[in-house]
Amino acid sequence: MSAALSSIGRVLGRPPIGIVLAIATVVVILVAAIFAPLIAPYDPNVQNLLGRLKPPGFVIRNTHYLLGSDELGRDTFSRLIYGARISLLVAFASVVLSGITGSILGMLAALYRGWVETVIMRAVDIVLSIPAILMAIITVATLGPGLQNVVFVLVLTRWPRYARVAYGQTLIIANTSYLRLSRSMGAGWFHILRYHVLPNIAGAIVVVVTLEFGLMVLFEAGLSFLGLGVQPPTASWGVMLSVGRNYVANAWWLSVIPGAALFLFVLSVNVLGDFLRDRLDPRSR
Amino acid sequence: MKMLRALTFAALIGVVMPTLGFAAAKETVVIDLVSEPSSLDPHKQWNPDSHFVYRNIFDQLLSRDDKGEIIPSIARSWAYKSDTEIVFTVRDDVTFHDGQKLTAEDVAFSINRIIDKKFASPQLSQFNKILSATASSASEVTIKTDGPYPVLLAQLVKLSIVPKHIVEKVGNDAFNLAPVGSGAYKFEKWQRGVDVVLVRNDNYWGDKGYFLRADFRAVPDAATRVANLKAGTADLAVTLDPDLAAQLEGAGGVKVLTAVTERIAYLKLNTSRPPFDDVELRRAVAQAVDRQSIIEGLLGGYDKPVSQLASPDYKGYVAGIQGLPFDPDQAKQLVQKAGAKAAEPIAFVTSPTFDQRIVQALIQQLNDVGFKINVESVDFATYLQRAQSEKTKQPAISFGRWSCACQDADGISFPLLHSSSSFSALSDPKIDALLEAARNTLDPDKRLVAYKDVATAVAKDALILPLYQAAVIYGASEKLKWSPTANESFFLNRASWSE
Amino acid sequence: MKDTDAAFRRAPVLERVIQVGGFVVRRLVQALIALFGVITLVFFLQRLTGDPVLLLVPQGATQADTDVMRTALGFDRPLYIQYFGFLADLVRFDLGRSYVQNLPVVDIISSRVPYTLELAAGALVVAIGLGVPIGILIAVRRDRFEARWLIGLVLIGQSMPTFWTSVLLIMFFGVWLRWLPPSGVNGFQSLIMPSLALGFLSMATFARVTRTSVLDELSKDYVRTGLAKGLSMSRLIAHHLMRNAAVPIVTISALEIANLLTGAIIIETVFAWPGLGQLTIQAISARDFSIVQGVVIIGAAAAILLNLIADLLYSIIDPRIRLPGRDA
Repeated sequence: MSAALSSIGRVLGRPPIGIVLAIATVVVILVAAIFAPLIAPYDPNVQNLLGRLKPPGFVIRNTHYLLGSDELGRDTFSRLIYGARISLLVAFASVVLSGITGSILGMLAALYRGWVETVIMRAVDIVLSIPAILMAIITVATLGPGLQNVVFVLVLTRWPRYARVAYGQTLIIANTSYLRLSRSMGAGWFHILRYHVLPNIAGAIVVVVTLEFGLMVLFEAGLSFLGLGVQPPTASWGVMLSVGRNYVANAWWLSVIPGAALFLFVLSVNVLGDFLRDRLDPRSR
Repeated sequence: MKMLRALTFAALIGVVMPTLGFAAAKETVVIDLVSEPSSLDPHKQWNPDSHFVYRNIFDQLLSRDDKGEIIPSIARSWAYKSDTEIVFTVRDDVTFHDGQKLTAEDVAFSINRIIDKKFASPQLSQFNKILSATASSASEVTIKTDGPYPVLLAQLVKLSIVPKHIVEKVGNDAFNLAPVGSGAYKFEKWQRGVDVVLVRNDNYWGDKGYFLRADFRAVPDAATRVANLKAGTADLAVTLDPDLAAQLEGAGGVKVLTAVTERIAYLKLNTSRPPFDDVELRRAVAQAVDRQSIIEGLLGGYDKPVSQLASPDYKGYVAGIQGLPFDPDQAKQLVQKAGAKAAEPIAFVTSPTFDQRIVQALIQQLNDVGFKINVESVDFATYLQRAQSEKTKQPAISFGRWSCACQDADGISFPLLHSSSSFSALSDPKIDALLEAARNTLDPDKRLVAYKDVATAVAKDALILPLYQAAVIYGASEKLKWSPTANESFFLNRASWSE
Repeated sequence: MKDTDAAFRRAPVLERVIQVGGFVVRRLVQALIALFGVITLVFFLQRLTGDPVLLLVPQGATQADTDVMRTALGFDRPLYIQYFGFLADLVRFDLGRSYVQNLPVVDIISSRVPYTLELAAGALVVAIGLGVPIGILIAVRRDRFEARWLIGLVLIGQSMPTFWTSVLLIMFFGVWLRWLPPSGVNGFQSLIMPSLALGFLSMATFARVTRTSVLDELSKDYVRTGLAKGLSMSRLIAHHLMRNAAVPIVTISALEIANLLTGAIIIETVFAWPGLGQLTIQAISARDFSIVQGVVIIGAAAAILLNLIADLLYSIIDPRIRLPGRDA
């Protein structure tokens, strides 16, 4: 265990201060999300119509709105913490699932060419050309609304991006002699992908992952905004933002606070992504 | 150097001149709608934004004044020949925008066009009691109905008169692109997806408009409509929620205009399936809902609580009906008594079209007394499908807002409560008989007696839970003079500008 | 790799043209099949969710009245008959009529296309004009102070929800300063804010991809050799490095243009910009099937075409990559 840790440490070297801050931010948000019930001062869904749209620090009837209250008098701080759970869960699940699916398909297409390539890459074209919103509406109309279906829609519409990048990157290395060699020696597709292709294209995939991670939180917001995403009263950062947008002029905290949380989180993920990419990609070392 | 100064001067003139010209008189009024009209053929759609525009291009057979009373318009007067036959006398001083005279022929043509099944007007359901319309003379039109129909006049308020000679000559498609009416404003241009511009009809037979032009723009986002008002790029914006209206109240140069409409918000409880086939649980819902706190807390105090499916503006409104009082403790006891039946989770069906704050507040109030209710939000088309499926498959509980645009108790009560209607979850022979009696007589007293019994049953057994009479909120420039009405229509010739 | 390189250099021009031509034809045939798949999928998926009749009639319309409407619009026919009718129209380039607007779909869509192109072009200018130089700068000056600020700008671009950026732009330039109209299509002024809002997100994408590929190139031998021979960095970038680094940028461009064309739904809604995105979302919620089908066909054709162009550019910019679709 400690040997493994120290070998990772050797690869990473001594991290600069920005990386430390980014890790700290991600850890804090993750902890908040995981231990939400212990941290949040109030039930995130309990309303108080007399305490609507109160600014941060407002106190009413023993309720202390640390970060203000929303359009139904719910505690913004508690919703922010519970919202982190949903937003991160959706983003994580959809990025992992679509990343794995897309990358594997993209690599296979570039490696094997022929009909494999034709089928996969034309499927990419098809999916990319159907509006995501249409997919979302059809999914919700047939499967019903809910968290899993949000993830399902996101995976369904996002895997082609990974496929496209994995494909493009794999093409560049597809003709290198060591790949040809290992194929002529009869190595299985999984072996080739895992040991010869993936290490070489991981950098590009990581870039897409970090881009997509923030985007998924935003997409979830868009779906929820259209009423097709996470169901109320459940909080997510996206829901909070899209509702708060209407209150920019008279209750700035409703959009600025989840916006800031989202911004910090995506920022940290991106900083970490860049750092990892630079350290792990054999070519840029 | 001189050159430069001259150029600067010229540029300044260029910038300032149009502004000066603008300040002299308000020529164009800019109205921000939600979306563009779906069609400007008044018989080819049923859509509030189209309605807002086309009612100014066309005259209707009858009209309503700002107080909501039915008044003459194209029809100067009318008289019942029998319970099923009514004769309208048509004005003889009305001309269409192309200069041709409007006659009884055009009126009869318009009615027959809308009830023609092949034409398939979306508005057919509002005129389907009409059997025929004939021009009995140059100035008289006789309408026959398939029985006594008390709501006929209210429906004819929505009947726009189109010119027979033009529609027949150019066909429906061309007419849709370049509509010609007899109204206070003429169609000028339609930039698809952007705006519709109307220009004043200076030969109008009635009150002429104040503004030379009206520009109806499509601005789907409510926050953007508010921004346009604040920036002074729009003079009137429709469909704001109370929280957006509150932003306008703080800003300079703009004001909030509001009116309670004929639109009734309700909670529909499915009496044909558990758990709300149990009258006690329906009563628990009725007593758990605090209308007043929702109206004051969320709706800005603009809306009015109701306990029947009608407002005081309606024909058939029964004075003095009291719903079950708000009593959460009583409700809690009823839920506890019901035991296992009330313990099951219940799906509350709604759509993003409705104000989510209200739905969530209602659900919280119900859960406070012990129900276990979850939101199920679906898109509006799916919502409508589910709301009118088989009775036992309709949602157990759902939120809705309804306006028949006819200000008559029949318009909401019949479709929501009569067993034959696909919108109704109820099958109660007594209620059916009452609703039929009220629909099939012209005698206002008999109708009122029937509606009183219906309203009493609704209130006592919570067959459905009427919530409030919804308000409509507009934002407007401080200088715009116009008063909104209960039927949510907008007549340009009733609006003006104070310099 | 050397062999392939040499083979391509030696190939006569004519042979190369034939190769490319054959590739394009093959891809177009595939594209037609894909397009057929898309429209079939969209046709049936849409109808899974019901029909638009209930949205067209007033609330409370009786079953009989809605049935009249349903028959008139043809939704009472069996699904396969509707489908073949649709295909029959399609081969005559007839996309059908909008049930809501009572107009031919072709007219409706073609009135919206110019706005979409205008906005996509504006956004692309913002995205590439800012994104690519920023990406190069960040890569070249990776440890310098200014690179950090630029990274910050890029990160803001991709961490801000577009509707939030849009609202801030409207509040600042539209309401507070009153420099630009909050919404509408009154000339160049109206294009500025939507282009910024839309381009900002893509700008981040371009900057990151540019940075990544420039970094890749910087680590290669020819750069070191070039620098050692006394070539200036800017000359190296302009003449050698960008040529190689352009491959991923081109890929992303094709994807981003497709995105910009159909992906501006929220921005078009916020700025009341009458492009295809707004039309699509409205048509979807109104169940105006024929418009959705029309938009999807055009969008799919554009996306497929852009992907084809990306693949062609690949091989032009970097001849080491063989054209896809041929056996390895």
